[in-house]
Amino acid sequence: MKRFFGMWAVIGAVLAGLVAIFYAFYVLAALGAKGAVAMGLPGFYGSSIVNAVTLMAVTLMTLAALLTVAERKWSAAMQDRIGANRIKVFGSALGGVPYLLADAIKMLTKESTFPAARSKFLFELAPVLAFSPTFALFAVIPVGPEVVVLGQTVGMWVANPDAGLLWIFALAGISVYGTTLAGWASNNRVGLLGAVRASAQMISYEVSLGLSLVGVMIAYRTVSLQQMAIAQGADVLGPVPALGILLQPLGFLVFFTSAFAETKRAPFDLPEGESEIVGYFLEYSGMKFGLLFLAEFVEIAVLAAVTAAVFLGGWHPILFEGWMKANLPPVLFAAVCAASFLAKVIFLTWLQLIIRWLLPRFRYDQIQALCWKLLLPAAIVNVFVTGAAVLVDPTLTLLAWIGVAEIALIFGITLASTKPQPADHGDAHGHAAPAAGH
Amino acid sequence: MSYQIENQPANVRESMYFPEIFRAIGLVVTTFWRNAFFSRDSNPDILERDRTRNRVTTIQYPEEKAPYPPGYRGLHRLVPRPDGSPRCVACFMCATACPAQCIYIEAGEVEGDPIEKYPKQFVIDELRCVVCGFCVEACPKDAIRMDTGDHPPATYTREGQIYDEKRLLRGPPVSYEKDPWLVRPSRLSEAMLKLDRAAARPYGVDGGDEFSQTPGFSVRQLAAEAAARGETGK
Repeated sequence: MKRFFGMWAVIGAVLAGLVAIFYAFYVLAALGAKGAVAMGLPGFYGSSIVNAVTLMAVTLMTLAALLTVAERKWSAAMQDRIGANRIKVFGSALGGVPYLLADAIKMLTKESTFPAARSKFLFELAPVLAFSPTFALFAVIPVGPEVVVLGQTVGMWVANPDAGLLWIFALAGISVYGTTLAGWASNNRVGLLGAVRASAQMISYEVSLGLSLVGVMIAYRTVSLQQMAIAQGADVLGPVPALGILLQPLGFLVFFTSAFAETKRAPFDLPEGESEIVGYFLEYSGMKFGLLFLAEFVEIAVLAAVTAAVFLGGWHPILFEGWMKANLPPVLFAAVCAASFLAKVIFLTWLQLIIRWLLPRFRYDQIQALCWKLLLPAAIVNVFVTGAAVLVDPTLTLLAWIGVAEIALIFGITLASTKPQPADHGDAHGHAAPAAGH
Repeated sequence: MSYQIENQPANVRESMYFPEIFRAIGLVVTTFWRNAFFSRDSNPDILERDRTRNRVTTIQYPEEKAPYPPGYRGLHRLVPRPDGSPRCVACFMCATACPAQCIYIEAGEVEGDPIEKYPKQFVIDELRCVVCGFCVEACPKDAIRMDTGDHPPATYTREGQIYDEKRLLRGPPVSYEKDPWLVRPSRLSEAMLKLDRAAARPYGVDGGDEFSQTPGFSVRQLAAEAAARGETGK
């Protein structure tokens, strides 16, 4: 019971800490805007530069680094293990967080070895090309709403281009170059095989990734992520806001799956199948490998952020939003919004790790079949259904009802199981009679 | 435990793939929250653990140790007398029986005693030891046992695995009624002799209990059970 309440206390402390951190980020952005105004420049120049540091260099990188620890501890909890806890600070394992430092020291001090027949320039370029596009994706994510702080109107984003989603498609397309070049420049046939697999997989899934978001663009009539986040706050079915997941459950499924395939992690980790080919980063060592490794985790965090922004209501806290907006000071409310966005991102990364440790790897033809035969037709149908529904009823009510019907259908099919349910594991000795469904 | 899974063709719901994944996610999420939100029972005997909430079966080895089974042949010890000196009389029976020749004994004569010897040096090289237990069987004085219930700990040097009589002489003392140094004139003082004789117990006639480090365990009982199963003739 002590651990039960302790875990809830930790979750509460993390949420409160996020609110405090984003309050500070808003103030810092306002100070940056003030500085820019003092130099005779538009205010958002300063706030964007400050946000680039606070959101991308601090928040995103911390999140990605913590994910390396979370992958160990969370996967352990899913598999009835304890997980990494041997590094102790004053007798406490601190949930495995000190492993972050140990990993960093290991990566930085490891010897970098090179294949002699590598392509020298491309070999150095590939980790950068793998890392930077996914990192730059975060620039257009609206983390928090616009609010007036210290007399300056600042928003919690680095850039606010009108073509927000198109920027995401463009950069997600570029990130395939990093993996392909890494395999090609290593001059290793196994690495090249991994690179070819990666490029074929990523190019296939980009099609369904793009098509799955067309429905969202039709529904909200914009490609700007900020506009989408604002549009998701409007009520559509009584008090229920027009969340992307409500209007586009099918689009959400297709997008989340395609995004998962883009991260190249299990069950889509054919490019780096450790058991048959080591993967496109076979010849990389030291910090260059660390960069390819970190790029994967940054990709998880960024795709969770895109999903949260487009489908889970962006920075809207949803629960008690009206009350908080009326009663809290505006800056604090904005900080709560930004914290709730990050909470959604953390939840989605957790969900991705669950799926990553749940499913075995696909066969390669199954990967392509899932994309071209299941996801792509579903996405196309979704586009046409959404277009027709918006054409008939521009207030989105019809689309919301279609979404509710889709969710009910998915729930119904899931619950209507013909197979016997897995037996309860609660028996004390842990080796009960064999149960089906294991 | 092995069990068979019938290889059935997927039905329509399963070939839609996603509903099955949702069900599996539910299963994994349940396991996750149970293990993350409830504390682990750290009983080293995992079969006795309370796993109704937290299902983790890990034993955190250096802090928690699973008990070895009764009769486990562990690290040797030289059995002390109640006065602290080893029961060993340097008869070389163990060193002779040892197939790995890992026991080195140097005998010395006890001052003021006409016949008794003692080990000036008694060294076991645990790296050469094959843990057969022949030394324990060979000892006529029940002076060497493998009942510590532990294995030789890891060391950074080979020298660390060479155990001399100072490291071997430990554990509870043992004294028997027929021990020669108790029944005839001895180097011990009268008061000490009285104490030793009071602690002495009768020596087993058929089979000792030198392996039994666990209360309730008895070689004789195991033999009786084996006899009851009719295994003695084999």
